[in-house]
Amino acid sequence: MPPAVSTPPAPRPGVPRPSALLLALALALCLAVPGLQAAGPGPGPGPGSPGVPGAPPPGLLRQAARAALHFLNFRAGSPSGLRVLAAVLRGRAAVDARRTCRVDLEFTAERYDPEVADGRLGRCSARVVFRHQKPRPAVNVTCTRFMETSRSRREDFLLYKRAKRLRAPLGATSIPNSHGWIDPSLRPIWDLAFLGSSYVLWERTTQTLHYYMAQLSSVNQWKTNEDAIDFDYMVLLHEFSTQEIIPCRIHLVWYPGKPLKVKYHCQELHTAQEGSGTEEGSAVAPTQPNNF
Amino acid sequence: MKWILFFGALIGLSICGREKFFGDQVFRINVRNGDESSKLSQLVNSDNLKLNFWKSPSTFSRPVDVLVPSVSLQSVRSFLKSQGLEYSVTIEDLQIYREMDSIARDFPALVSRVKIGHSFENRPMYVLKFSTAEGRRRPAIWLNAGIHSREWISQATAIWTARKIVSDYGKDPALTSILEKMDIFLLPVANPDGYVYTQTQNRLWRKTRSLNPGSACVGADPNRNWNASFAGEGASDNPCSEIYHGPHANSEVEVKSVVDFIQGHRNFKCFIDLHSYSQLLMYPYGYTIKKAPDADELDEVARRAANALASLSGTTYQVGPTCTTVYPASGSSVDWAYDNGIKYAFTFELRDTGHYGFLLPANQIIPTAEETWLGLKTIMEHVRDNLY
Repeated sequence: MPPAVSTPPAPRPGVPRPSALLLALALALCLAVPGLQAAGPGPGPGPGSPGVPGAPPPGLLRQAARAALHFLNFRAGSPSGLRVLAAVLRGRAAVDARRTCRVDLEFTAERYDPEVADGRLGRCSARVVFRHQKPRPAVNVTCTRFMETSRSRREDFLLYKRAKRLRAPLGATSIPNSHGWIDPSLRPIWDLAFLGSSYVLWERTTQTLHYYMAQLSSVNQWKTNEDAIDFDYMVLLHEFSTQEIIPCRIHLVWYPGKPLKVKYHCQELHTAQEGSGTEEGSAVAPTQPNNF
Repeated sequence: MKWILFFGALIGLSICGREKFFGDQVFRINVRNGDESSKLSQLVNSDNLKLNFWKSPSTFSRPVDVLVPSVSLQSVRSFLKSQGLEYSVTIEDLQIYREMDSIARDFPALVSRVKIGHSFENRPMYVLKFSTAEGRRRPAIWLNAGIHSREWISQATAIWTARKIVSDYGKDPALTSILEKMDIFLLPVANPDGYVYTQTQNRLWRKTRSLNPGSACVGADPNRNWNASFAGEGASDNPCSEIYHGPHANSEVEVKSVVDFIQGHRNFKCFIDLHSYSQLLMYPYGYTIKKAPDADELDEVARRAANALASLSGTTYQVGPTCTTVYPASGSSVDWAYDNGIKYAFTFELRDTGHYGFLLPANQIIPTAEETWLGLKTIMEHVRDNLY
């Protein structure tokens, strides 16, 4: 049952919040749809263009796919197994009276590291539930493996050994640098930084906001003398659609095969998100995260 | 950026010795006397550093440009410091202006460099005009780049495209026929102040560098400052926001310069704005969910352009109207162009899809520019065949 579109609150000067159009769009993106829409990969049917009427636009499905993959990457805790979205295959969305938006979708994923990407795609199916304009979408996702478990374990251990030998440059840094260059010897740092960021990226994603890790801006601590890698760092996240750059401090503890431990704190800038759950954006990931 | 020299040379020479230039830098060494020149010779003769002199150090009346591979950066810096040699790492916006000047001088019959205005910090705004018609004001195409300063692949693609146009005119039938009927105006750096700021202070700066009275925050988003549903949804009235629309439409002198030029010309048929990242090819509107009157035609052209782009390396672009393909945005250049009678108005969001984002590696510049060129040509051919 499609919900009534309610009048959005009057804008308060100087406090950006999800705009009226954005809210209307978010709801429009979440129409109740019977059945599945098949959409081929590549330049897909644009919203409002000839296609199945009332089908969820690719935008919402991609949003859900991203959230699902960030969550998967975090839960897998494997820097060699990091995945990113390749293409959305199909999906449907439904919204209830509380404006909770449930998305069921199928998509393909590929390896995060483009240098070792061999074109092999994993196939994923997910259910992602966005609470109305709130972060921390609920994710249930499964993906076929594009790599045997033994191989990914092996690669994780290789990365672990390289990380243990690595003397990370402490303090302010720019990885990649302005020209997109990552020194190959520092690649493990980048992969682990992205792994830790996955938790943050998942938590912060809503129907309308999503993030990318723009740059690693500081290495505060890189402890490898004990068994686990203890990594404390700052990243700059790029937020869509506000275009803001959000500095986040992340502290992770990683050992191959064990659940990732992550703590983080993101700076809330001038643009405080109205209606978000945690203003500060700090959280400690539970070691047995709920998968609801 | 420093890449400019790299691929400028690559285009000039059909064979290049080294494939990879990422991480390398260009040092400009100031040689003031004979003593310094002999010190520099030591550097020249050091095989192991693998230096590449862009300008020969034989005449020491001018500064010497040296391409230093990333592996040798530290050694070269230490050497220069220990020998007391003055140097600077060359600043990219000057590179782009010099490159534009060089293109115009090398192909005077086809190209002229036109100053259309200046930035807030008084940097010149230069456009390259490609025209085969003397004096007549033909239907024209506007290629806009670098309006958001951190999107470096945009400026890089623009300057590569300039070189491509001059080298392919007279050889590529499609391009030649386009230029027989229309003029092309190319603005590689629509936001020069922001661009310099990304090189010197903050690589992720997006906006202009105009001062906002009463606020500590600097700059407005030049792509929310156009007079198309100005201050509507999808922009912010907070000067500290990355999408601050500015105090009023065309408040940003960089925007006003383009508006005045295009309106004064009165015969533009196509406006293309290059951004990054996300791999999208979009058409109006951004400020409303309403379908533009020409949306069907624009969608069809955009799809063909995206297919042409993908044909080179398989890079896939999503196609659609701005509002629903990416997000609502008011005051954008492309919406303004469209609402002012420029039917063929498109936005490219170039590579990649988030892995490197704004920090796209240098080795992707040429592949990006090459594939984008195929998309641009598809659009320009359609405009040529559908002049109104």
